[in-house]
Amino acid sequence: MKTTQVLALGAAVMVVAAGCGGGGTDRPAATKISFLTHWGPDQVKALEAAATAFEKQNPGTTVDIRAVPFGNLLTTLRTQGASPNGPTIAGIYDLWLPELVRDGLAASMPADAAAELAASWPKNLVEGVTKQGAPRGYPNEVDLYALNYNKKLFQQAGIAQPPRTWAELEDAAAKLTGNGTQGFGVITSWPAGAVHPWLSLVTSNGGALIDGTTPKLDDPRTVAATQLYARLIAKGSTKPEMSNANANTTGPYLDNFVNGRTGMIIMANWWQSALKDAMGDRYQDVGVAPVPVGPDGTKSAPVSYSWLTVVNGKADQARQQAAWKFLTYLNGGSSGRNGSSAMGDILTSMGILPSRTGDLEAHKAELSDPFLSVYVRELPNAVPFPSVPGGEAMSQTVQKHLENVIFGKETPEAAMSAAQKEIPGVLQKAGT
Amino acid sequence: MRRSAAVAFLSPAMLVIGLFTVVPIALTFWISLHEWSMYTPLGDMAWRGFGNYADLAADDGFSTALGNTALYVALVVVVTLPLSVALGMLLYFPKAAGKGVARAVLFSTYVVPTVAIAIVWGGLYAPSYGPLSVLFGGATWLSAPGTALVSLVIFHVWQMTGYYTVLVIAGLTQIPGDLYEAARIDGAGFWRQTAHVTLPLLRRTTVFIGLVSIINAIQVFDPVYILTQGGPAESTAVLSFAIQRSAFQHGLAGQASAMAFTLLVLLVALGGVFLAAVRRRS
Repeated sequence: MKTTQVLALGAAVMVVAAGCGGGGTDRPAATKISFLTHWGPDQVKALEAAATAFEKQNPGTTVDIRAVPFGNLLTTLRTQGASPNGPTIAGIYDLWLPELVRDGLAASMPADAAAELAASWPKNLVEGVTKQGAPRGYPNEVDLYALNYNKKLFQQAGIAQPPRTWAELEDAAAKLTGNGTQGFGVITSWPAGAVHPWLSLVTSNGGALIDGTTPKLDDPRTVAATQLYARLIAKGSTKPEMSNANANTTGPYLDNFVNGRTGMIIMANWWQSALKDAMGDRYQDVGVAPVPVGPDGTKSAPVSYSWLTVVNGKADQARQQAAWKFLTYLNGGSSGRNGSSAMGDILTSMGILPSRTGDLEAHKAELSDPFLSVYVRELPNAVPFPSVPGGEAMSQTVQKHLENVIFGKETPEAAMSAAQKEIPGVLQKAGT
Repeated sequence: MRRSAAVAFLSPAMLVIGLFTVVPIALTFWISLHEWSMYTPLGDMAWRGFGNYADLAADDGFSTALGNTALYVALVVVVTLPLSVALGMLLYFPKAAGKGVARAVLFSTYVVPTVAIAIVWGGLYAPSYGPLSVLFGGATWLSAPGTALVSLVIFHVWQMTGYYTVLVIAGLTQIPGDLYEAARIDGAGFWRQTAHVTLPLLRRTTVFIGLVSIINAIQVFDPVYILTQGGPAESTAVLSFAIQRSAFQHGLAGQASAMAFTLLVLLVALGGVFLAAVRRRS
């Protein structure tokens, strides 16, 4: 009886061992990586196609694409990022990078990828993704600001050309205002939407938001941009009630421009596809010009920001290696069309400027489009939004005071003075 | 023996309550005593003691959120409670056809997911071109600090009144008909019947609705997140939104937990005061 039991146990162990052994072949275990993005369905489809092509070239590695709305991207990173099983790759806003690096979530780039990055991307972008002495990911999307205006409304108001200075901006805004139309639109209820256009006016007046970690909000050149907002509102050229945005970064501010109720607005290149979709044939009325220069400025200097893809530093080594390999492929010249990377193709399909030098060359024709070409021309003058830990909270502090000015709750001087006092505490809390 | 039986019968429920209520509350309090970005494991949090609570006391943003929440709750309760009682009586007493359909229609606003319906209300409230703006002569609704919070209250009242009305109707069915008959014999008209029969006997229901509406109003989040993001000019930044923003946007989970725990304490205190006041009156 005892012998029978031992034999039965031995047979069972052999069956289980055979099952676990995968039939006794030497096939390596599959490495599964995931890519978290906020892109829409069309771009996700293109990314999946690139992943499929990569998987064919790299048997044993599978890439799973996960898409979440923009508003949920940071939340997803916070709730899943710290886990080794969280997203292996994530597309992130550069403002989030310092915090991710501080907490070990953005891995350093391997030497071969870093060399490729240095050779194929503009130096200022490589510097932007370099933290604690090491590059942390591939920059992809670059966004910057320019003045968008309605050519038809300009024609009706007898304005020959877009404003180049603040004085011309105020003059044009006054002429465009009337019959339910505002001359110059601002954005509220959205931190980047409120702060970036205003900061583009500040930087085009020779000012800055911070210098290192010291806020520069009480600088006369910064206060002047806030005073410009106050004057436009006082004259009725800017109507605060037409300004709000919703969680999808759409809403009345966009609708008013699309419906010809806003003559001018400062916005980033990424909204080209939103304008095309919403305006149809009327899209041809949209004109683009550099951000008007302030009295103390010498040239238009719009704010820029970028997105980059990082690899989760908490993932195991095999996954990190596979992730860098996929990113190198995705951002390399062989994965796209006509010498572009697959990433370059995806970004251009959204009306977004790619950052890799070869992608800009490969997509020259699309980027010479009247809308995008102005942004491309302004790229060398762009001033990157300061990327420091606590940048998001700092942005929201400025937004709060700026909106107080827009809605008449604070004077420009008092608002900037209050923001100047609050920001050091905000940055200190984040460890800056 | 009886004691062991009681423990045996109570333990599954106590286990569930402990796991899903007591542990998260204790964990929230523990996190509130630390500095934590949520990107690191819980074990790596940095100790702050009561520093986060001290920061809240000096934080203008927190007091703004507290003030906005108090105003929101007050407006919701003041409007919702009488309205749902009135609608409940209107749908219960008259012998009219279609009352069931009216109840179903009223209740349906509670069933529809807030996220979906908030987007529709965003369109209705759109400045200049939105139907409600056109109807009310260019009212600013969500687009101005003076009207944004009230607009959210209107949305809340629209969404929740149907639910509270159904509760009122359920309460009315518990009032014996012969009390009304006796009141009528004594010469009481509609208003005296309402004041001396309906409202006193509906008190348990109205207390429950009052408490639930306070809790629901304090917890408001979805419409703020979707429609206003706390703006314009922080006029709709209520506590739940401030907590979410602090934790997920700013990476200050310790501070957000301190806010959440303060909110819990306030909620318990408010509920206690409300129930004590009701008990004293009775």
